[in-house]
Amino acid sequence: MTKASQSKIEAFLPLSPTIFHMLLALGEGERHGYALKREILQRTAGRLNLGSGALYGSINKMLEQGLIEESDERPDAHLDDERRRYYRITPLGKRVAQAEAVRMRQLVRLAEDRLGLPQIA
Amino acid sequence: MADPKQIYRFLLKLYPARFREEYEAPLERQFRDEYGEARSPWARGLFWLRALADLGTSIPAEFARELRQDLAYAPRVYGRRPLVTVLAFIALALAIGVTTGVFSVVNALLIRSLPFHDPERLVEAKGNRMAGLMGRAEFYNWRDGSRYWHDVAAYNSLEMNLSGAAGAGRVHVAETSANFFAMLGTEPDLGRAFTADEDAPGMAGVAVIGYGLWQQMFGGDPRVLGAAVRLNGTPLTVVGVAPPGFDYPAKTAIWTPTVFDFDRLPKSGAIFGQTIGRLKPGLTLAQANAIFAAEVIRTDPAGYKRDSLSRPRLTSLRDQLAGPVRQASLVLFGVVVFVLFIACANVAQLLLSRVTERRQEMAVRAALGASRARLVQQLITESAVLTTAAAGAGLAVAYWAARLASSVQPAQLTTQEYSILDGRVLGFALAVALITGVAFGVLPAWLMGRTQPAIDAIRTQSGNPASGASRTRAVLIAMQAAFTLVLVAGSITMGRSFLRLMGTDLGFHTQNVATLTVSLSGTREGADNQERQFYQEALLRLRAVPGVESAGAADYLPLISQPLMLLRPKLDSGPEVRSVPVTATPDYFRSLGIDIVAGRDFTDADRPASEPVAIVNEEFARLAGNGARLIGRKMTAPFVGGKFLTIVGIVRTTRFMPATAGYAQFYLPTAQQPPAFATFVARVRGNPERYLAVCRDAVQQVDRQVAIYSVMTLRQRLREALAKPRFYTTAIVFFAGFAMLLALIGIYGVASYSISARTHEIGVRMAVGASPGRLRFALLRQSMLPMAAGMLAGVGAASALGRFLEYLMSGVEPVGALTCGAAALVLAMAAGVAVWTATARVLRVDPMRALRTE
Repeated sequence: MTKASQSKIEAFLPLSPTIFHMLLALGEGERHGYALKREILQRTAGRLNLGSGALYGSINKMLEQGLIEESDERPDAHLDDERRRYYRITPLGKRVAQAEAVRMRQLVRLAEDRLGLPQIA
Repeated sequence: MADPKQIYRFLLKLYPARFREEYEAPLERQFRDEYGEARSPWARGLFWLRALADLGTSIPAEFARELRQDLAYAPRVYGRRPLVTVLAFIALALAIGVTTGVFSVVNALLIRSLPFHDPERLVEAKGNRMAGLMGRAEFYNWRDGSRYWHDVAAYNSLEMNLSGAAGAGRVHVAETSANFFAMLGTEPDLGRAFTADEDAPGMAGVAVIGYGLWQQMFGGDPRVLGAAVRLNGTPLTVVGVAPPGFDYPAKTAIWTPTVFDFDRLPKSGAIFGQTIGRLKPGLTLAQANAIFAAEVIRTDPAGYKRDSLSRPRLTSLRDQLAGPVRQASLVLFGVVVFVLFIACANVAQLLLSRVTERRQEMAVRAALGASRARLVQQLITESAVLTTAAAGAGLAVAYWAARLASSVQPAQLTTQEYSILDGRVLGFALAVALITGVAFGVLPAWLMGRTQPAIDAIRTQSGNPASGASRTRAVLIAMQAAFTLVLVAGSITMGRSFLRLMGTDLGFHTQNVATLTVSLSGTREGADNQERQFYQEALLRLRAVPGVESAGAADYLPLISQPLMLLRPKLDSGPEVRSVPVTATPDYFRSLGIDIVAGRDFTDADRPASEPVAIVNEEFARLAGNGARLIGRKMTAPFVGGKFLTIVGIVRTTRFMPATAGYAQFYLPTAQQPPAFATFVARVRGNPERYLAVCRDAVQQVDRQVAIYSVMTLRQRLREALAKPRFYTTAIVFFAGFAMLLALIGIYGVASYSISARTHEIGVRMAVGASPGRLRFALLRQSMLPMAAGMLAGVGAASALGRFLEYLMSGVEPVGALTCGAAALVLAMAAGVAVWTATARVLRVDPMRALRTE
């Protein structure tokens, strides 16, 4: 990875929790907007409940930033109606999410060293 | 109940265009799904709350984002045509700035609240016999028996000599009734106002001083209470200090409760009693006026029959204070709004040509899916960027304009000072900027809409000459031509009238004359009837100043004061002559260069004990009907106690002000009729400004206690007298020139645009043999048609404007057909030159290349 693209990635950090969660969800596969929302809601145990405006606002922003892109592929027509738009993570989006995770890992290590962390039950 | 989905769909319309376009469908769909999942009314309520909160945060966020993008794009768009953009920017900045500056005057005078308690109920009673002349008891009886006065106060406003520990000076004084401050609802900052009986004759003399005077003369020392000041020599005890900024009426610095005790403070000159009161609650001005009129008719039937101008009436204090500035600033406001329109038309032209140039770009973007709403949003943002930036620059212009206005037509009260740092004024500037921005953003966008379907635009660059855009251009040109014609005709009229005013023969010379004024009221000289000696002594000293060729003095001097008194002296055999009495010393006429056409000047031989004499002017002689044969005739005047005056000379008629006619006058020798105040005039060799200080010292040496003021050259006095007409003339001429420049830029732009848009057509025509000259004529005719239509409309408006110019400068002649014709000719010629220049490009069109551009 070149230095230039590294600094381009750094410019995105830290990511907002919403965007990080969305990238994480898309890392698993393509999703439409509503599915993204449901997944995030589930994963955060209801704490991050995105309103539709906030959801599509974030999608819009991420599209502009090139973190995600619209997918042309659709599931079988009988499974889903064609009006839904599907999104997938871009290579840039993946690298940004990774960089955010690395940043978090460093923070977690620091916290462990300084404060000591209890074991997760 | 309305369908929730429809409500939500309606709310989605609040999103900015592009976002809505992209996400309207999924948003709606998601709403439908989630709404369906919420079953209980409670859950649905909660869901609605969430949805609204979500819309409330995400709509502004999306707007901000799209605005940021459009804002970033706007400078690039303008950067493509820097010259036109800079011109439009300057035009807008000047127009918005000047409009805002004039608005700050209108705001200060007509909108901003007066610094009194409940000022809307304050009125002034004008032309009222009862106010000035009645005694104290009668005045208060009138108030107490009145059905319209809640309270009413009387005052005289005048200048007096103030002396105290710090020396002598001239100040504005208001002699008031005791209830003056209470009636206005103003509390002194320090000490007290007058007690109810302090305006009764024989009470101890007290005074309230202004805040500024307190700071200046007493250094803001609270021990001022109980200190003594002298007004025209009469000692008064300071009992209070007015609040800062309070200087009603007429920049007053000292108030005394002596309005009913005329002789308490010695004074000179004409004194007018005035009445200001507070209407009873619930009474409108019209109702009060009706009662007031009925009362005047009952008590003074003769007084009521006068013409409507001088008829007794109540006027609101605000109108009274705004006075002549009111009309002048409204007229000026109208004029600058015209200029603003013209500037706006130019900006519209600019944006319009950009739209047509960018039609391709827009059409491509539209084809790529950008909605019309999205393009409209971008155009509005672009034009709002331009107008808002121009308004920012315009504030500097506005500041300058307000400063200029207050130096020419200052407000009567300190608190009415014109300021642009006022919420209303700043709001006005912003509103003008946004309205023009949106209006001129929408106009091109609307035209853009008419160009769709855009497929034609993608294919070809050339505009269809019959399109909406070119019609709009024609309308804009016509509008500019109309407004410009009005302004040019107005400026020709103003300019001519002003030149006439400048060239007016005043009847005396203004070069090389130094002047200064003294008032002997309340001084040692005034008390002991020593005025004659004072004037004599002062003249001796003035004449002894090296470089002074001659010196004299008179009480009412041209350019300094309007004569306030008209008498009817009677000739021994012959008519009464309505004329103005003036006292003058020997050499006064020579010093001012007033020719003595017959007889002689006053001399030192005209003494109190010698034969009473008079000199009349030519206008007097004309009215008396017997010219030079007046010499040696006798006349009587009420002023001089029935003595017979022998007319010994006739002098040329002088005008008191450049705009007024020369009055009939008769002069009396100062030695026989010594006035309480006089203005000295000294004709000097060389620049009179260099003599001002030494002349002042010479007169001051006679008596240190005498206040000397208005030390200036006669030229300066003339300049002051002409300042207002000069300012308004300059303003109108400037605006007209500016308007014309804008109009020419506009028409040039349109002409040159229409050529570039029709290069192909022109090429074809030339290829089939049309001569460039004929083509240029055709283009000229085409551009001049809307001009002519606009100018025709302008002629009507110009004659209407002419009537209002009278408010800016008295004696302005009406805007006649000749003036309109001249203005139209000037405008048409200038426009013709502009179009002709713009069409020079036709000569360079190479038919072959033009054809190849397709």
